Amino acid sequence: MIPTVAFKNRETVPTWFAYGAPLLTVIAALLVSAIPLAWLGVNPINIYYEMFISNPTGIRGVSYILVTAVPLFLAGLAVYIPLKAGLWNIGAEGQLFVGAIIGSYLALTFEWPIYVLLPAMIVSGGIVGALYGAIPGYLRAEHNVNEIISSLMLTFTATTFTGYLLRGPMQGGGGQSATERLPDFARLPTVIHPRLHIGVGLIAVVAVLVYLLINRTRLGYEITLIGSNPSAAAQAGISEYRTYITVFVLGGFLAGMAGIIEIAGVHGRLFEGFSPDYGFTAIAVALLGRNGVFRVLLAALFFAVITTGGTTIAVTQNVPTAIINVIVALTILFLLTAEFIKEHRIVINPDRESDPETPSGLEGAS
Amino acid sequence: MSRTAPLLEVEGLTKHFGDVVANDEIDLTVERGEIHGLLGENGAGKSTLMNMLYGLYTPTSGTIRINGEAQTFDSPKDAIDAGIGMVHQHFMLIPRMTVLENIVLGERETAGDTGSGLTGSLKALFARERNAPRQRVQELGAEYGLDVDPDAKVWELDVGEQQRVEILKALYRDIDLLILDEPTAVLTPNESERMFETIRQLVDEGLTVIFITHKLWEIERMTDRVSVLRDGKLIDTVETDSVSQSDLAEKMVGREVLLSVDKDEHPIGEPVLVADNVSAHDDREIPALTGANVTVGTSEIVGIAGVSGNGQRELAETLIGFRSTETGEIRIDGEDLTGAPPRRFVDAGVSFVPEDRYVHGCAPALSIMHNAGLKEYRSELFENGSVRFDYDAMATYAEELVEEFDVRGVTTVRKTPAADLSGGNLQKLILAREMNRDPKLLVANQPTRGVDIGAIENIRNLMLEQRANGTGILLISEDLDELLDLSDRILVLYEGEFVFETTPDQTNKWELGMYMSTGEEPQQSEPPAAITEAE
Amino acid sequence: MSALAGIAESTVRLATPLLLAAMGEIIAERSGVLNLGVEGMMLAGALAGFIGTVVTGSAWAGFAIGILAGGLLALLHAVLSISLKVDQVVSGIMLTLLGVGLTTYFGRGWVGENISGFARIEIPILSEIPIIGYALFDITALDYLTLLLVPVIWFFLFRTNVGAEITAVGEDPETADTAGIPVFKIQYACVLLGGLLAGAAGAQLSLAFTNFWATEMVAGRGWIAVALVIFAQWRIWRVLAGAYFFALIDALSFRTGGSVGEELLGQELLATVANFVINPQVMQTYPYIMTIVVLWYIMRQGNLNELGAPRSLLKSYSREQD
Repeated sequence: MIPTVAFKNRETVPTWFAYGAPLLTVIAALLVSAIPLAWLGVNPINIYYEMFISNPTGIRGVSYILVTAVPLFLAGLAVYIPLKAGLWNIGAEGQLFVGAIIGSYLALTFEWPIYVLLPAMIVSGGIVGALYGAIPGYLRAEHNVNEIISSLMLTFTATTFTGYLLRGPMQGGGGQSATERLPDFARLPTVIHPRLHIGVGLIAVVAVLVYLLINRTRLGYEITLIGSNPSAAAQAGISEYRTYITVFVLGGFLAGMAGIIEIAGVHGRLFEGFSPDYGFTAIAVALLGRNGVFRVLLAALFFAVITTGGTTIAVTQNVPTAIINVIVALTILFLLTAEFIKEHRIVINPDRESDPETPSGLEGAS
Repeated sequence: MSRTAPLLEVEGLTKHFGDVVANDEIDLTVERGEIHGLLGENGAGKSTLMNMLYGLYTPTSGTIRINGEAQTFDSPKDAIDAGIGMVHQHFMLIPRMTVLENIVLGERETAGDTGSGLTGSLKALFARERNAPRQRVQELGAEYGLDVDPDAKVWELDVGEQQRVEILKALYRDIDLLILDEPTAVLTPNESERMFETIRQLVDEGLTVIFITHKLWEIERMTDRVSVLRDGKLIDTVETDSVSQSDLAEKMVGREVLLSVDKDEHPIGEPVLVADNVSAHDDREIPALTGANVTVGTSEIVGIAGVSGNGQRELAETLIGFRSTETGEIRIDGEDLTGAPPRRFVDAGVSFVPEDRYVHGCAPALSIMHNAGLKEYRSELFENGSVRFDYDAMATYAEELVEEFDVRGVTTVRKTPAADLSGGNLQKLILAREMNRDPKLLVANQPTRGVDIGAIENIRNLMLEQRANGTGILLISEDLDELLDLSDRILVLYEGEFVFETTPDQTNKWELGMYMSTGEEPQQSEPPAAITEAE
Repeated sequence: MSALAGIAESTVRLATPLLLAAMGEIIAERSGVLNLGVEGMMLAGALAGFIGTVVTGSAWAGFAIGILAGGLLALLHAVLSISLKVDQVVSGIMLTLLGVGLTTYFGRGWVGENISGFARIEIPILSEIPIIGYALFDITALDYLTLLLVPVIWFFLFRTNVGAEITAVGEDPETADTAGIPVFKIQYACVLLGGLLAGAAGAQLSLAFTNFWATEMVAGRGWIAVALVIFAQWRIWRVLAGAYFFALIDALSFRTGGSVGEELLGQELLATVANFVINPQVMQTYPYIMTIVVLWYIMRQGNLNELGAPRSLLKSYSREQD
């Protein structure tokens, strides 16, 4: 018999690995990303120093990071909540866009006082995002349509449709594919630093609320059970239908809010490309933080550091911002590899490796 | 009797799965041209033995000899090359492909000679020959009465036809020995008849057959010799003509008597469960339960005897609302819950211990605490204000359950995942969860299967306690001792129907075994003298 | 050359990358592996192909390099999702992100470079046929090759032994394994093929459809290819039809201006609606919306055998029985 390579489940995980894994994956990702950096003739050490040490210090740096963390965190939660129930929300980007659209529309159409307009914008952004998110949730709950496909398709529908709006009905002056500038009373006020909009405060509020939802409510319990074992949950009387729709509605709401907050807080008008793939990076955020809301927050902050660092070094060192995508993608890919190494050890076996370990309760034996 | 080596010889064949001994030193011989029956209850080790013969499992020790030559099978392909074919209980067919495609799958048929070497293998991959195979399939089909349209899609065929495809698959590969695993489990009586004729014909043409079943009349009808397995050991191999069905039943069921339990007399009250003419289909849309009538009163244990696969699972799942019924009514404590979702059954006081504790009974990745609260999480116990959910209360609840029901292996209820518990302890946890809520009706499907002796006694006492508390229990079990000890009434489920109803003092294991294996009244009125009654 | 002929010709040439990528995706998905990295692989193919052509001076050499680039990313996807049992969705999306990042990063220096890519090859006489002649017989070598590839792939998937094995692996890997079919080898091969074809699709964009490189040049066509496979229910000839349909929409979106006037339809509301419906950006949403509608329509029938999706799509297979 020829020796075969097999993966056997580990019984125990070496502790250093269990705790060190996230850190190790980040380091691995940074190491590999250093290659393209070096290729351009830049010193990776300088780059990473700037990205992780000099950029995040000072009011300005921190403000930028916090502001970037807002959409990453909210969209990250938009993926996290359905993920807890075992579903993939790949539509966060689209939900982001529709929220931005409706919010911008309100801002440009109604001259309400700021304390009325802003909440209206944000809430309506959330509601429209929730409705848009409900579609894949409903399709999955009612017809078992794969939510990955439906949410993905809806994302591109939304982003493409935005292009139409920005060149047509919502186009501002100047002939670009963008709206007019939002009036001052439709902009989020800033504190401490001219860029630090108060939407950042939402992070704390939302974090606590979602944490409470998942960990302190009946719904959170149901979501956790369905995500872990749908058939046991169903037998216990938990409604898959209701839960699936609910998690997508909640996710869509958060992503929709994220969209309009970006417009009202950062950019001041809606234009194509206002989101550097936040909805997709959100998947990475949710994966990195899938064990808890505060880990999602940490992941969002981490990716925010990378994103803002990336834009800074684009200016100071002439490094393309695309390096951000590279680092994000590599982090997740290494993370997933680390997961695998955590679960399995590689065994060279002289014997054929196709036996079951144990038959489950001798079932099927006759 | 020829002196040539038997077609199949198995010596000392043993299979361990960790600590579990599934097959223990089995010696078996199958002569060429015979139909050799393999009889045994669920868990006796029949499947394991056959899977070793078919190359799906590697033996822990022992030898397999074909025509006198020792063989090792690394995969089913090796077994097929040695001339062994198998028709599984759960068909290995691809529904979307045609009959012909399924039959030739993996054979890489090409027109003409492929030759060897690179061009040969390329040709085998990228060419395709269907005419010659189609012809051969049609010939085989005509010869053995296995008519199926080679170009029909498998999902369009009914079960009997699908089984014929499976048999053709084996025949196509020029096998000498065909293993049939519970072939009539999915067939109607007519289809079974037809299949028997086909087998006869095949054997007349020189095929050898191993016929696995738990139905005694099939053994009598079809086999030349029969081997009986029990608890992983080969009990005996006999000429079928030389034994009676009751002899076989005795060997199959054995005389093991486990712990007996004291049962007080308790008054039987109003029915908590009335199932009236309930029919249901299984996952393949085949009728699995037909016209079932069963009533369970308060403080009553109704035992359901039967070999696994005769409709027990479907029965249990309809009674908790998890499976829809085709006909009939289900009333829980007077309330008509036919067609209601599981939630309403749970709220009406129905508890369930499922057959498969990992798939349906718990969320293995979640903590003991999460699993403990699975049925009661909606109750006020865990409310804290209008929205808040009290995990502290649930943790306390879980700890109480663990304490009271002696669940071992729990470090902390919040951190230890359910998957870390041993089978017996997980079962105790599930029982704890289901019983502690004082259900009106407890449906328990194989509650002591795969559980160690100490826990078994534990669990049985718990059920009796629950009975004393007023719960009505529907106990589905393959363990006849258990049923005789605990039940107030016993029904036998055979091929989806209740074929017999009795009480423990009016029956014995042998009679129940007969009903379980034949569905009919035993011909003898008395068991053979060798059997002493079960308590 | 009339506007109509121009659109027809653009349609044919825009259908090429969609066809290539979609055929690759069908092959991968039929073995049970969803590849959401197509967009990234197309970008890799576009840039690598472009660079290859600049460096070697040969469009064909560049094309080959583009193909290999796609294959390389696909190899990563295969290792991750087949051997390491990583979630196929995540692996694919992250590889797209990686592809976008790497190509934007490295591609910056190549914007503005000029190459002579694949020239049009005119077939005499046939190309004289009005509209169709211009569209079908005056296109580049890659376009011809792609059209010829369609029946080849069809034959490969549906008329060969290995094609039947691929189908079996995608439907029920356990049955296939029992029948002696090398499940992992087949899945690896199919994912690789998918990547090679995606790379080819990308290279076509930078070497044949245009002769330049720009970071946005794939413009979501990889995602459209994924949608196309579902829309066409995993059938080759439907993919061909669907590719042309989606390519037509793509071609129409390039035109600027042009609107249906009130005079034509005689009613303001009708004209507004009509203009909305044929608006280039609005039309670009049609492939995605239609895909969802098709999926919804099929799933609500409830018969899984109607759904063309391989039954084991997205499931990772391991011999270990629980």
